Amino acid sequence: MRLITDDHVTAAFGLAADDCLAGRVGAGESEPTLRLYTYRSHCALVGRFQNVANEVHREYCEAHGLPINRRPTGGGAIIMGADQLGVALTLPGRGDDSYSHARELMAQFSAGVVKGLNALGVNASFRRKNDIEVNGRKVVGLGIYRAPSGGLLFHASLLVGLDLPLMLRILRTPFEKISDKAIATVADRITTVRRETGRELEVAEVRARVADGYAAAFGLELDSGDFTHTELQAIANLQSQKYESDDWIFQTTAVPDAAGAAKLKTESGLIDAQVTLAGHTLKAVFIGGDFFVGEGALAELEAALRWRSTDPAAVAAALTQAYTARAAELAALPLTALIQVVQQAIRRAQVVEASARSDPYGCFVNPETSGATAKEQVLTGVTQFNGQSTLKQGA
Amino acid sequence: MSTNGHYSFPPELYYDGATHVWVRYADGEATLGLDALGLESLGDMAYVSLPVVGRPVNRGEAIGSLEAAKMVGDLLAPVSGAIAARNEAVLRDPALVNADPYGAGWLVRLTPAQWERESAELIHGAALLAWVAAEIERYRTQGWID
Repeated sequence: MRLITDDHVTAAFGLAADDCLAGRVGAGESEPTLRLYTYRSHCALVGRFQNVANEVHREYCEAHGLPINRRPTGGGAIIMGADQLGVALTLPGRGDDSYSHARELMAQFSAGVVKGLNALGVNASFRRKNDIEVNGRKVVGLGIYRAPSGGLLFHASLLVGLDLPLMLRILRTPFEKISDKAIATVADRITTVRRETGRELEVAEVRARVADGYAAAFGLELDSGDFTHTELQAIANLQSQKYESDDWIFQTTAVPDAAGAAKLKTESGLIDAQVTLAGHTLKAVFIGGDFFVGEGALAELEAALRWRSTDPAAVAAALTQAYTARAAELAALPLTALIQVVQQAIRRAQVVEASARSDPYGCFVNPETSGATAKEQVLTGVTQFNGQSTLKQGA
Repeated sequence: MSTNGHYSFPPELYYDGATHVWVRYADGEATLGLDALGLESLGDMAYVSLPVVGRPVNRGEAIGSLEAAKMVGDLLAPVSGAIAARNEAVLRDPALVNADPYGAGWLVRLTPAQWERESAELIHGAALLAWVAAEIERYRTQGWID
């Protein structure tokens, strides 16, 4: 398998190269490739279907010359730069599995990253359908895109390091301001390779270990190479036609975002839940309150809900499963009350979304930004919200 | 028809064996959606994009995209033709695809250009039962469904 390493690429080139290779590898025009690369600091990349207005502080990015772009892969918004290692694995795929088994593919393709992290002494593992975590904290975000040719693109963003305050300035979160508390809340949900190893590792060292990890996981040798002239021409075409086009970057989805929050006083203390929905999918979840639980345990509960259905039974099942795995550490947080408060937060978000939908020119005014506006309404007016947040990085 | 009492494959429909897209042909129009088995392995649909009405499409060409479980894939046209309608409700509420795949969860309607020739490449009629059984077995063997 070919190994390409490149650094400080622009957002448009970085994404066009991955997208282009997926199509070409599927069509048999390029060889399967593992690309380990970094972006020029910094850019904001939203998931395939996300609305930029809901995910990114566009005015901040424009004022500071930070590009915004849209990945071909799914998931949430991230920032990328010199301290975040991009992983793009492009494989031919198989023609008869067009839409199936995302979870299995995700686990299989993650193996190289996990092995690489383990070799650095980071106790990382693939969890659920979309995370590589260390003790409940996300360290790598994952996504997959299947090109019409059948080619598969597996994307991962590995946090070697991360400027948390910068991330909070670039990505939209429920934080009203970037406080120490906000940063601490974020730091409890995500982690970096440098934090886990306690060493100021260079990205190059992490990249080398991840390359070794893939070679071991797939039982093959990686041959260092570069894009061919033909590939570079095809990438340049895709870059200009798609990844430099506002039609691609700023496209909007009809699926509305909505947010809701709920609190519940129990004998153990106050439980506070806040959710952000994309239609019937839970996009982000925050659980807080004045109870004590094991380190990383809340992040694990939240991760169990992300990108799941808002159906009450599905919420209860996901929480029960995650809770059972860490029951001892979560003893101070009653499961029944937790399910109740999360479901209540979802219902409130749905009420807000329904009102925005039935009266698009009413209090939420602009249908294209109704999600963000509805979210602000909930956070500032309808509910009591304590200013804490869920995380997006590595989504 | 229902197989194992779980995965429903209405016998009047045509199925693309490679993509699990179903086609309902009536009055010169083909309505498309995703079948129950394909959806079971995909999971909950988070987002859908669909083509504009009037766009010509060729068999095998991408006519939209889907995101479920953070996997994005293109919706491939099972037959050639022109897009006659798209399901606006599904664009706003992709969960309809999971909830009612053969009804309210339809995706696009197109006017086929070569129905007689291209429909012969779809699975239909007497071949359906054996294909469904083989696909369920394959999905189970692979661990894609329980």
